[in-house]
Amino acid sequence: MSSPGELKLSGWEVGETRKLPGMDVKKIGKDLYEIFIGPQHPGSGHMRIIVRLDGDVMVEVDPDLGYVHRTMEKLAEGRSFIKVIPLVERMAILDACNITLPYVEAVEKLMDIEPPERAKYLRVLLCEINRIASHLYGMGIFGVFLGHSTMYMWPFGDREVFVELAERLTGARLTHSYPVPGGVRRDVPEGFTDDLRKAVRYMRKRLEEYRKIFLDNPVIRARLEGVGVIPRNLAIELGIVGPNLRASGVEYDVRMVEPYEAYGELDFEVPVFEEGDALARAWVRVEEIKQSLRILEQVADKLDKMPREGFMHDKFWAKAPKLYKDVYSREGRVKLMPLFANLKVPAGKAFARAEAGRGEIVYYVESEGKFTPYRVRVVSPSFRNAIVFKYIAPGHRLMDLPAIYGSIDYFPPEADR
Amino acid sequence: MAGVVDTIISWIFWPPLFQLVIAPGLVAALAIVIFILWFERKTAARVQMRVGPYNVSPRLGGALQLIADLIRYSFQEPIIPKTVDTAAFILAPLAMLVISVVPTAAIPVSPLPWTWPIPMEHSLLVALALTTLSPVFLVAAGWASNNKFSVIGSTREAFMVTAYELVFIISLLAVAAPVHSYNLVEIVEAQAGWRMFAILNPLAFLAAFIAILMSTSGFPFEIPESEHEVVAGPFTEYSGLLYGIDMGAAYIKRYVMSVLLTIAFLGGWKPLDPQPGAGLLAGYIAPLVVVLVKATIVMAVMSFFRAVYGRYRLDQAVDLAWRVILPMALAGYALGLIYGYLGVI
Amino acid sequence: MPPRPSRRRVPPYGFLAAVKGNLGAIAVGLKYFLDPNRFTLHYPREYIRLKPGYRGFIVLNKAKCIMCESCARICPAAAMKMVRFQAPDPRRPGKMKLYKYPVINYQRCIFCGYCVDVCPTEALRHVPAHDVVYYNLEEMDLNLEQFQVEPKSPAEVEGGIPVRYVFDPERGLVKVPEKGQAGGG
Repeated sequence: MSSPGELKLSGWEVGETRKLPGMDVKKIGKDLYEIFIGPQHPGSGHMRIIVRLDGDVMVEVDPDLGYVHRTMEKLAEGRSFIKVIPLVERMAILDACNITLPYVEAVEKLMDIEPPERAKYLRVLLCEINRIASHLYGMGIFGVFLGHSTMYMWPFGDREVFVELAERLTGARLTHSYPVPGGVRRDVPEGFTDDLRKAVRYMRKRLEEYRKIFLDNPVIRARLEGVGVIPRNLAIELGIVGPNLRASGVEYDVRMVEPYEAYGELDFEVPVFEEGDALARAWVRVEEIKQSLRILEQVADKLDKMPREGFMHDKFWAKAPKLYKDVYSREGRVKLMPLFANLKVPAGKAFARAEAGRGEIVYYVESEGKFTPYRVRVVSPSFRNAIVFKYIAPGHRLMDLPAIYGSIDYFPPEADR
Repeated sequence: MAGVVDTIISWIFWPPLFQLVIAPGLVAALAIVIFILWFERKTAARVQMRVGPYNVSPRLGGALQLIADLIRYSFQEPIIPKTVDTAAFILAPLAMLVISVVPTAAIPVSPLPWTWPIPMEHSLLVALALTTLSPVFLVAAGWASNNKFSVIGSTREAFMVTAYELVFIISLLAVAAPVHSYNLVEIVEAQAGWRMFAILNPLAFLAAFIAILMSTSGFPFEIPESEHEVVAGPFTEYSGLLYGIDMGAAYIKRYVMSVLLTIAFLGGWKPLDPQPGAGLLAGYIAPLVVVLVKATIVMAVMSFFRAVYGRYRLDQAVDLAWRVILPMALAGYALGLIYGYLGVI
Repeated sequence: MPPRPSRRRVPPYGFLAAVKGNLGAIAVGLKYFLDPNRFTLHYPREYIRLKPGYRGFIVLNKAKCIMCESCARICPAAAMKMVRFQAPDPRRPGKMKLYKYPVINYQRCIFCGYCVDVCPTEALRHVPAHDVVYYNLEEMDLNLEQFQVEPKSPAEVEGGIPVRYVFDPERGLVKVPEKGQAGGG
């Protein structure tokens, strides 16, 4: 039996290793305490945060990524173009449409086709449903990181409403694989727009209650106000994207600066907050959900008015046999032409981007005119946000780390790809 | 034959034994803590769009879930890591459990002298002193674990002690001043009808209530065990029954403090007024049940806060305690002194 | 009107707002304590009657299959494979013919539904079941006969109550038993 008392502290140089029963101890610095948060830790997600503490104050924070790296870019090089869609979808399955859409757009650019109008609205529809679901997920994790278990359960419960909507639209709760080159795979089912309007009304009511129990809760205000401030210039310098950037007062949203699909025709605002602290990041998400609800209402009106036909590009649809059109008029389901299995995309390079729930996602697709892409490059929003830990967490107390982590809405599988 | 039964009854109801081991001591504590844990989980579930424990005994609303958990903890292998200080590691939770129950010896549950386990002359001070012992063992448990998260957790507990201990003591002293006595029996007897100290002196009551939340890591002060920074705080290395005891000890402490709060502020057994010469049932059991019911309601309110609040940061909690709650407790004490000076009670 | 930025600030907060915030939070909590809004599915006792469009398990109608291999080619997870075998040709007596039919391996299937959508004769279809379980991994690799049998949800087989969820502007989703009230949604 030995006790920790055997450790001799005198003359211990920084960097020198000494033996303790069952472990080696290395001195990392004077009065520093190093803790590894993750990858098996209730507050880390699939990553590790190496924190060095001086007392209760973090002096150095090092995000250590890569625990869920799946070589997606390399895998994409061996698959035909359409099979890449379910692959890249796995980056963030709760944000599936937003994540796959720019890839589909890039392939469409290479093929030089444009989806029909109704398909654009349907894509926007699912993108906004996904954005709400993604923000609710992020807020739920945020809530539980602050110990607020109700704010954990409520957004997850209300997310179910939007997951259910997505399921009725696409047939799958999460991995929708909804947009395909040329259009989308299904039309809205019977009665969908009415359900959508009900869900929007419900969510508006709920957001008020979120505000009462979470955002205006004095405990939460105290935890978030002035914590993890990303100044405007630092946000630009680090290349932060998404709601985190907009919470720091930068007016940047791909839907606004470079409208894709039907976003240019829709009436909505991009909320931008000045403060840049964790509270502003929580607020910007709530406000974005409100705007997404607004978009959903407009899309529902538009879809009701539009004729229920044509959400596949003519290239794939004009020569379709009668059975295909029967299935479409009966079930609202687009049958894919067999040529989709071996889609030959003309040689070229294409670049597309979109505003996913967590920020701007960028795809670069290069084709050599074969069945498989030569290169698919993804820059995902979480990867661009991960660097923030290193810069804003030092100087805060250890208990602020979950508040900062939660407010960034960092999602390791998306960052690691 | 009747003589034997009477002897057995008098042995069981011998106050020093009954009070500590059965009620309001260990057995009642465990029963009420099991109920409160179930209630807490069900309350949180109701607020949070969930069902909560259910599948174990669906007809009872999952009330037996906690028993099932207890059985699971009992049969789980208690892992004692190589690097811990074994003796302290095992003894600290056990000591914490026992020490948490000990204050019940100094808490009267009836005005009749034959029900008191100890002389009640200075019982308020004795009870207060005994409640302050258990944090030592919490800190010891964390330190003995030899784990970074445990050490951080127990350091946080040590910080929290500085925040709540003074507040709790001062706010409870506020009820001693008007009665001119540290005798808990006299304090209860002074609270006839609606003149309970919770209404006469809400400042001290609120301060004591918050201090209980702080000392038993109830929300919004669940800081030492805060899961998302320090895993399970001082209990990170514990498993099996020892972990169950660790977690239960905080609730037992909360229960004991709630009983003390009930006696001091909520009129104790007060709707009842046992006369000298009352029998076992009317003189001991009935007032005891009233006290326990009131204490359970206090704990139920504390449990509800889990569904409403997150947790404060350590420095904010200490700051709050010293800057807001302590002045509140002092104001409550001043109010108590004024009552005492004017002879209101 | 095109999308445009709107600059805001977080609402200010003072002592009174803090008191109001405490009371508001407790009030909302109490509201849900007294009138809980829960729509938990008690799974084995209840199960969701899935909508017709749901991308559930997949069944082959062998009579419709024209052996075009499109499904196996488009499958992104390589879950669908063609089985090949020689059998007597009904049109040319005495001659053998090479048959190929798809079979599925549910260890790999990701339920993307590409195969169903690409099938030119609707020989493949989704069945409204998503909770079929297998005893071991080998069983998940179906053969041609198994692929033609429609799998059933175990909750349905065990006699659970079918329910469905309807949208409600006040309560979000509301669980209604399938056999009870009709319409809604």
